[in-house]
Amino acid sequence: MKKRPDPYLFDEFFASGKEESISPFLFPSSRKWAHNLTLKNAIFTAIIFSIAFATSFFSLHLSNLFLAMVYFLVGTPAVLDTVEDLRNFEINIDVLMTLAALLSILIGSQMEGALLLVLFALSGSMEKAVSSKTKSAIQNLRDISPSRVTLLENNIPIEKNIHEIQVKNSIVVKAGEIIPLDGKITQGSSYVNLLHLTGESLPTSKTIGDEVYAGSHNLDGMITVEVSKTSHESTLAQIIQLIQGAQAAKPKVEKLLDRFGKYYASTIILLSAAFAGLLPFLLSIPFLSIEGSVYRALAFLIAASPCALIIATPTAYLSAISACARKGILLKGGVILDAICSAKIIAFDKTGTLTQGKLTFSHIDSYSSTSHTPLSQEEIFSIAATLEQGVLHPIAETITLYASQNSLSLLPLEQFKSKPGYGVEGMVTIQDKKVLVLLGSFEHILVQLGEKTIMERWPYLTEEIKNKEHLLSCLLVESNLYLFHFMDHLRPKIQNVISDLKRKFSFRILMLTGDHQKSAERIAKEAGIEEYYFDLKPEDKLHLIARFIQEGSVTMIGDGINDAPSLMRSNVGISMGKIGSSSAIEASDAIFLHDDLSQIPWLFKKAKQTRRILLQNISLAFLVILLATTPSLLGFIPLWLAVILHEGGTVIVGLNSLRLLK
Amino acid sequence: MKDSSKHFANHSALEHLKEAREKGQGVFSEVHGLEPSGCMIALLDSAKTTVILLLTTWTLLFLFATPFSIASLFLFALSFGLLFLHTGRSAYLGWARLERLHRLIEEERWEIEHHKEQEKEELIEMYEAKGFQEPLLSQVIETLMADDNRLLEVMLTEELAIPLEAYEHPLKQGVYALIGSSISVFLFFLGRWISPFYGPIIISFGIVISASLLFAKIQKNEKMRACIWNLSLFGMIVGGVYLLGRFLQNVL
Repeated sequence: MKKRPDPYLFDEFFASGKEESISPFLFPSSRKWAHNLTLKNAIFTAIIFSIAFATSFFSLHLSNLFLAMVYFLVGTPAVLDTVEDLRNFEINIDVLMTLAALLSILIGSQMEGALLLVLFALSGSMEKAVSSKTKSAIQNLRDISPSRVTLLENNIPIEKNIHEIQVKNSIVVKAGEIIPLDGKITQGSSYVNLLHLTGESLPTSKTIGDEVYAGSHNLDGMITVEVSKTSHESTLAQIIQLIQGAQAAKPKVEKLLDRFGKYYASTIILLSAAFAGLLPFLLSIPFLSIEGSVYRALAFLIAASPCALIIATPTAYLSAISACARKGILLKGGVILDAICSAKIIAFDKTGTLTQGKLTFSHIDSYSSTSHTPLSQEEIFSIAATLEQGVLHPIAETITLYASQNSLSLLPLEQFKSKPGYGVEGMVTIQDKKVLVLLGSFEHILVQLGEKTIMERWPYLTEEIKNKEHLLSCLLVESNLYLFHFMDHLRPKIQNVISDLKRKFSFRILMLTGDHQKSAERIAKEAGIEEYYFDLKPEDKLHLIARFIQEGSVTMIGDGINDAPSLMRSNVGISMGKIGSSSAIEASDAIFLHDDLSQIPWLFKKAKQTRRILLQNISLAFLVILLATTPSLLGFIPLWLAVILHEGGTVIVGLNSLRLLK
Repeated sequence: MKDSSKHFANHSALEHLKEAREKGQGVFSEVHGLEPSGCMIALLDSAKTTVILLLTTWTLLFLFATPFSIASLFLFALSFGLLFLHTGRSAYLGWARLERLHRLIEEERWEIEHHKEQEKEELIEMYEAKGFQEPLLSQVIETLMADDNRLLEVMLTEELAIPLEAYEHPLKQGVYALIGSSISVFLFFLGRWISPFYGPIIISFGIVISASLLFAKIQKNEKMRACIWNLSLFGMIVGGVYLLGRFLQNVL
């Protein structure tokens, strides 16, 4: 029996702009026909063009037949694009190329016109193929946003559409589910991961009366939440709005050639018209006929759109993109290199970008009572790992990993209890004696022992814990208390990268984080960053980026969902491919596939080299027009020399671009 | 039950459903007739049409005593046009249909987002008509309404009667049409080479019969009936052209 997905995920189809390759109406086996269709068409047309060229040596008619196919296959889309441009009152290089290609038929240069179209189609489709557009950042956020909610109606759980949930409704969120709407916990407790809000992957304990936010991951307990905001006003909806706003406000990056292109195309078209009208008066030639001004004006128009100019940009961009890909940097289009070149400010996210984004054990503080002998570090880890085995929590994972790496054996465990949002407890057999052990947050110990006992035993403990920079987990074994310290460390060699960026490129370096001041200060100091901002929500980061853009072009480097709006808003957004969230990856313009930030200085160097080569290419292409083609049309140099210079220019431009592959 | 909302445009949910289904069915109609989906259908259809047009032209050329070599050149040039015509037509109509389908799904999604209550009414009408009764009816409706993706799928397949995952990519359809036309052209010329007079006629009959039988088999229609109807139509076209040609020959 035919198997089909249940239910269909139409959201992805709409987010892609109704791409044929994921159309729900097409047979799944048939969808692959739509992949890279423009590139396939351009390659097929290039083959037809080659046949047309080969047959031109023995049959002009047969050659023209193949040229007609070329005009049909790539000329029709070019005309459609040109009409669209003209309807928007835009005269650009595309318009000039299409005009030149079509008018070339009138003066019998259909082969040259077809070549222009083929090269144009090939370059355009190759650039399109390297730009990934299938899934949007917003779609990725929608993927983590549940569409169905379990509503409690007269204490009976009913599945409802998220849009039907009103403020004050009670909803149930099971362990492992995403919290669908903002609200206050009215029943139960759990550890909740607030990754999308703060960028910090460390879970927070939440219990009755605490606020929880849409998009948070409910880790271990079942909670009932009284909804405080509808789906249109939830935190996740606000982030989506921020991304949409940032997308609209993103500075538009234009290709170097496009910038010249608008003026160039208008100038050439006007000059052609002027030649057609004025040459008969200046050179005593007729308007019409093979030597007439109209013919020469058309020839000028075609010659002013040479192959060298068409391939100048795409070959340079594609070579640079290919070189970057070999280094593990994925660029969403060559135009990004232009934007990277203009950067003045680099803003780093902290957790997961400057740091490794995972907890590592730092040390243990021991608070023993006088009546008991303190345990060794190995014994403490054995006990902790015994309780944490099978618990899904970053701290539990770090403890069990440490125990297995150090070959520590687990101890017999009885009466295990998990208290969602607080921690775990159980009777552990230590040195043949069954002992009650508690592991979890400080609140967990506080509930067990009571505030009075804690104050009596360790008078300054509460105050000390409040002032700790590191993440803590508390282990209570009888009357002995042990505090596990965990830290997130800087990525290796990050200090060198920062120092290079400041010294060699004179960039202004910033750090933006949702973390608190002490943690931000420590990491910034270690990394060598003087300017840092802390306690930032996604909207705060976005506003800061918008402010910095006023002072100079900004490159933002981040990894979390909370960074997605800023990555979208900045001139260039760079995300981390391994650790990065899908939303951040989709919102960014470049992706470091191996999370290797030591490549940043290399990327900036490559961008500058690309711009240099691009300028050389464009200058060379213009030189060919000015020094060869135009004088030949006016009769100053022989046609064969013009052809050699014209083709030679194209080859040199191509070879020059290949230098970027290194 | 009348609903004066914009969504129903002064029609009842049932009347609206009828209109929606007609709108959905409109997707399958083409200006130049039906373009059935499926690449094999495209192949058979183009093979049949190509051979009929070639034989009709050959008939006229024969009637007006065109020399063999000139007639061959004429037919060869025409074949090229026919290959392009069938490939392009099939692909273009496929794309036109896909564009309409994508527009309809966009419209339906908009309706779901903006007229949820009316969509619910439509669902109730549909499932009541299927024989669902309370409390099962409400449970089914609530389940369907709980997920926008699922609701869109139901509205497409049940309200608009548009099947999902039921069409070939237009390019694939066009390529199969090209293959169908190419087979016809090749066999037609092969027949003409073997026997200049009987060859084209026998080959054309053979192609029409085979294409009709396979077409009927794919569509699960009665094969013999389809074959006879197609042969009859084929005879009418070719015979009609021949006889009209003879008449005009005498008149002129």
